Amino acid sequence: MLFSSIPFLYYFLPCVLLLYFLAPKRLKNAVLLLASLVFYAWGEPIYVLLMAGSIASGYVLGLLIEKFRGKPLGKLFLIVSAAISLGLLGYFKYADFFISNFNAVFGLSVPLLRIALPIGISFYTFQLLSYTIDVYRGTVAAQRNFITLAAYIAMFPQLIAGPIVRYSDVAAQLKSRTHSFEKIALGIRRFILGLAKKILIANALGELCDIFRVSGDQSVLFYWLYAIAFTLHIYFDFSGYSDMAIGLGKVFGFDFPENFRFPYISASITEFWRRWHISLGSWFRDYVYIPLGGNRVGKAKWLRNILVVWLLTGFWHGAAWNFIVWGLLFAVLLVVEKLWLQKPLQKTKLLKHLYVLFFVVLSFVIFNAADMKQALSDLGAMFGMGKLPFYSTEWSYYLRSYGVILMLAVIGATPLPQKLIAAMRRSKTGDKLISVAEPLVLAALLLIMTAYLVDGSFNPFLYFRF
Amino acid sequence: MNEKHRSIFLTVVMAAVLFGLSFWAWLKPADRFSESERRVLQSFPELNADTLRTGKFMEEFESYTLDQFPCRDGFRSLKALSVLHLFQQKDNNDLFIEDGYVSKLNYPLREEMLEHAADRFQSLYDNYLAGTDTKLYFSIVPDKSYFLAGENGYLSLDYEELIAKMREKTPYLEYIDIFDKLSLQNYYRTDTHWRQETLLPVANKLASAMGVSLSAEYETQTLSEPFYGVYTGQSALPLRPDTFSYLTNDILEGCTVTSYDTGAPQPAEMYDLSAAASADPYELFLNGADALLVIENPAAKTDRELVVFRDSFGSSLVPLLVEGYSKVTLVDIRYLNSAYLGSFVEFDNQDVLFLYSTLLLNDSLALK
Repeated sequence: MLFSSIPFLYYFLPCVLLLYFLAPKRLKNAVLLLASLVFYAWGEPIYVLLMAGSIASGYVLGLLIEKFRGKPLGKLFLIVSAAISLGLLGYFKYADFFISNFNAVFGLSVPLLRIALPIGISFYTFQLLSYTIDVYRGTVAAQRNFITLAAYIAMFPQLIAGPIVRYSDVAAQLKSRTHSFEKIALGIRRFILGLAKKILIANALGELCDIFRVSGDQSVLFYWLYAIAFTLHIYFDFSGYSDMAIGLGKVFGFDFPENFRFPYISASITEFWRRWHISLGSWFRDYVYIPLGGNRVGKAKWLRNILVVWLLTGFWHGAAWNFIVWGLLFAVLLVVEKLWLQKPLQKTKLLKHLYVLFFVVLSFVIFNAADMKQALSDLGAMFGMGKLPFYSTEWSYYLRSYGVILMLAVIGATPLPQKLIAAMRRSKTGDKLISVAEPLVLAALLLIMTAYLVDGSFNPFLYFRF
Repeated sequence: MNEKHRSIFLTVVMAAVLFGLSFWAWLKPADRFSESERRVLQSFPELNADTLRTGKFMEEFESYTLDQFPCRDGFRSLKALSVLHLFQQKDNNDLFIEDGYVSKLNYPLREEMLEHAADRFQSLYDNYLAGTDTKLYFSIVPDKSYFLAGENGYLSLDYEELIAKMREKTPYLEYIDIFDKLSLQNYYRTDTHWRQETLLPVANKLASAMGVSLSAEYETQTLSEPFYGVYTGQSALPLRPDTFSYLTNDILEGCTVTSYDTGAPQPAEMYDLSAAASADPYELFLNGADALLVIENPAAKTDRELVVFRDSFGSSLVPLLVEGYSKVTLVDIRYLNSAYLGSFVEFDNQDVLFLYSTLLLNDSLALK
């Protein structure tokens, strides 16, 4: 089920809210778990069993790891837990990638498995892994209540597209959390703004990208329009989903970690990755990069660590070479930046931002390509190597047609609107005005977004495939 | 207002919208048909273990919630207005509005569609027309975008190229250009089609090119009901309705019209006034969508016959050509497989006119 859908907004969510707030405190986690299973089964009736199996194994192994913590058996159970989680992820997500590459290298024709990817498997697998590793490390206690652990893993607000909420982030809130109008209002505001980012901006820009792909009138400038539109699309799509997840979490009394902090204003690639998909970046930092030695090792090992982390980051996003190349591109950029560019870039004002945006745009062209062949052809076309005209009729038409949305997206990707509202709030009149206008604006936004959904426009979430 | 009061106010307003619409959606009786979209709406899906397991229930339930949402047409209008006015997009679902006229983007030129249309015409020629004494003509009806799109900055077909390609692919047909006899005012503002009461110059040009002279006078009849064309529902915009008129005279009233839509002959009407009150009053012309129709004109001063291969644009034009012929046969190969045409029409010494709109030629897969 999509957050940005009529069944979710007007059928599922009101029922869950009623049940949740009517339920006594001790049953609230059970209500959340039940709702989450319905939410997941709605799109994946069969794979709900796979998720239930993963949770059950995580539950049992978590208890065993804790029981034998510090002993060889504890390590063995951690390895079993990781093997089960990564094995399932590998089978469902990566099997065909390995088979097709194996076939290509050895000239064989082993048939592909063609298994449908269970929605959100990359997210809930990483949550389970972080749980069992943290239990092994002794940073969290194993959860003895199966429903509580299942409610954490399966919690529908963040189940299928993150943020990757670690057990340690919400362990206390799973046990006891407070609900207040302040928190609910914060949640509603965040959810509606996330929904608006998704429906009004991301979907429109996604349409533009689709139009570009089928266009028979491509040009160099149309390629750049596509690249910029996709860069904005993926940000508004993914951060919109994270906003909705965080907002829903607040309504149910949870504080999920932030996942995006205006990444496109970054002054370096290092900063970009501190602002983009923060929960994934910090996951790899804490569970891969630092255990490998991080940067407190020799240069060669540090280079290896960087390569491993970014190879895995790319591979996490998809079982295809373009994702791996996308990850490795960031590895190269980070290394170059750390070794040579950091100081010269710091001296510039505008150039450092343009440098980040330039490489981020190029990286997302690789990211969104169907394969490496298309990625190279797209990049070539952007730099005039596609034997295409410089501009075309369609480029001009769609630039005009999507101009306002692109402008809103560019402004919305910066902290400017937030700063503006904060400045208004500092004056008494402005604060009063916002207090009255905000609910009305949010209600109007909800109605407009409902109108978009009723009209059945373009709506898939990009990050569902991860 | 302190933070707590502000939060309560926001929560109450948003809960009122969310729960209000939710209760309304749950309780509202399901509609069967959408007049504005001219389609049957999704009813509540069958709920059983099998439909749940396969996901069929969920899929259909999603369609059900979209189709049956309260104030569906109002929400569609809100979306269209937001797209066109708030976000200043040029079109909404490929429909654009300019000078009060709604039109659909007919873009880009789809060569494979022209190829398909030409292929169907060639098949008709090879199977029925080659080696006969028939005189063969071809005319193309421009859609509204020809007059609206290019000059107002919308994506526009290369109409010259479309005509050139179709002429090149149909060397056995004599082309009659009617573009110069048309302007935007020949079309309804809210519908795809052209207005019959403005088409006499077009009919005269076609007739003259086929060696027929037309001189009849017509009386204009105007329906009292406002005409909301097909784009009204599709665009979901608050549009001013058109007026709907048709031309008639004693010759047309004396004609007999027979439909072979079901295979067997059925009496039909030149102008079916009962269609005036339907969702699509344009169906008033010659029985609406009909595979094969024969008009016999007892007042004809000649025994010449005309066969018209046509789309819906032909329905309103052909009555204006009837005066010059004793018998006119209209064939719509979207609804009649051309392989069966020989059972109904014997081709011998007729004028044969292929009359197709650019909308159909550029999206011709329906031609059988």
